Amino acid sequence: MFNVERSGTEVRKLSYKDDKCVGCGICTDVCPTSSLRLGPTVPIARGLIEMDLVSCNADSCVLCGLCSVACPFDALSLTIDGEDIGEMGNYPNWETECVINEDECIYCGRCYKVCPRDAIIFERTLPERKELVRGEISIDKDECIYCSFCADLCPAEAITVNNVPTSSVDVINNSIEVDLDKCVFCGVCKRVCPQNAIKEVCSTCMLQDEIKVPEIVGDAFISKGSCVNCSWCSEICPVDAITITKPFDGTLEVVENEAEEKVCKGDACHACQDVCPCNAVEIVDGKADTNLDFCNLCGACITACPQNIRVLNRTAMKLDNINSESWDEILNSLLGGK
Amino acid sequence: MAVNIDSDKCGHIENCPVQGLCVKICEQGALVEEDGDVKIIPEKCDDCDLCIQNCPNQAISKA
Repeated sequence: MFNVERSGTEVRKLSYKDDKCVGCGICTDVCPTSSLRLGPTVPIARGLIEMDLVSCNADSCVLCGLCSVACPFDALSLTIDGEDIGEMGNYPNWETECVINEDECIYCGRCYKVCPRDAIIFERTLPERKELVRGEISIDKDECIYCSFCADLCPAEAITVNNVPTSSVDVINNSIEVDLDKCVFCGVCKRVCPQNAIKEVCSTCMLQDEIKVPEIVGDAFISKGSCVNCSWCSEICPVDAITITKPFDGTLEVVENEAEEKVCKGDACHACQDVCPCNAVEIVDGKADTNLDFCNLCGACITACPQNIRVLNRTAMKLDNINSESWDEILNSLLGGK
Repeated sequence: MAVNIDSDKCGHIENCPVQGLCVKICEQGALVEEDGDVKIIPEKCDDCDLCIQNCPNQAISKA
């Protein structure tokens, strides 16, 4: 987290948020004054060093804002007189997208579990069990000997038997209760009762057509500020309810050169896997394997690879509204090989 | 196989900004601390070059 601020006819302030930064180095690539520096991403990712991924030389920074428009992850923002340049309309904007269509969402929660950035806010309300099962159960307390066979065997743990001794040694306060929210009328208790004290009827089977399918309601949305557009959620969604637009199109390859001993060391190194914000890299048979379905082509792994054998080639980007020729030239330098 | 450590450039654990980043980053156990200095065990080195790339003093190079 750093801020660079300077006042003249207008007040310009550049803010960096380390929690949003993925260490891709796009900002350092576009900085016209080389004021931004990418830190040691691998030791930081492994927790060996605690520091920001990006640092800025406040003396040389001219507060132009190129880094803040180029960052696809909102880690840098420039404000002029308090207003974010991203909101101003005349500055470039990323047309990336991460949306869950709540009409389609069935609240299964798979996206929430796979998101590598914990960017999905998810909660759901399940119906109560008793809305899905029907039946009747009663216990004849005159017959019950409070042996607890039923409670010990109840698969739903719905039966509670208490034997509480009172002050008089030979009197015990016994109780037996069935929690109808848990009971599914399976009949185990009835079958195990040595006293035939339990009467249980399951009417679920007979009535199943009458039992309404309950609606599962919830909330699911993606926090844009935390999302890195990796597509894990949309790839795993069983009902295609999620739309992700990635910042770049292109390819990422590993090009080894055995003659120069430039080969992937896989398990020994796994630097790419450690820095990848998308969880897109896996070590398979001793080599790094990148699944481009989940990769956002940010390039963090390119700088992290000590063998320098990862080749990124961006062919298009979703950065629109570039109105200045010089900015267009600099921002378009993000395309092509790296 | 293995790497060379330039002892003039090396921070010798004590003066290393991370107190032995190369030792910490090497998961092969090829770089160890011995009497406040970094020692290389060549048999264990897998030539991944992580230490070369991440040494804050640029003291490590390919053997």
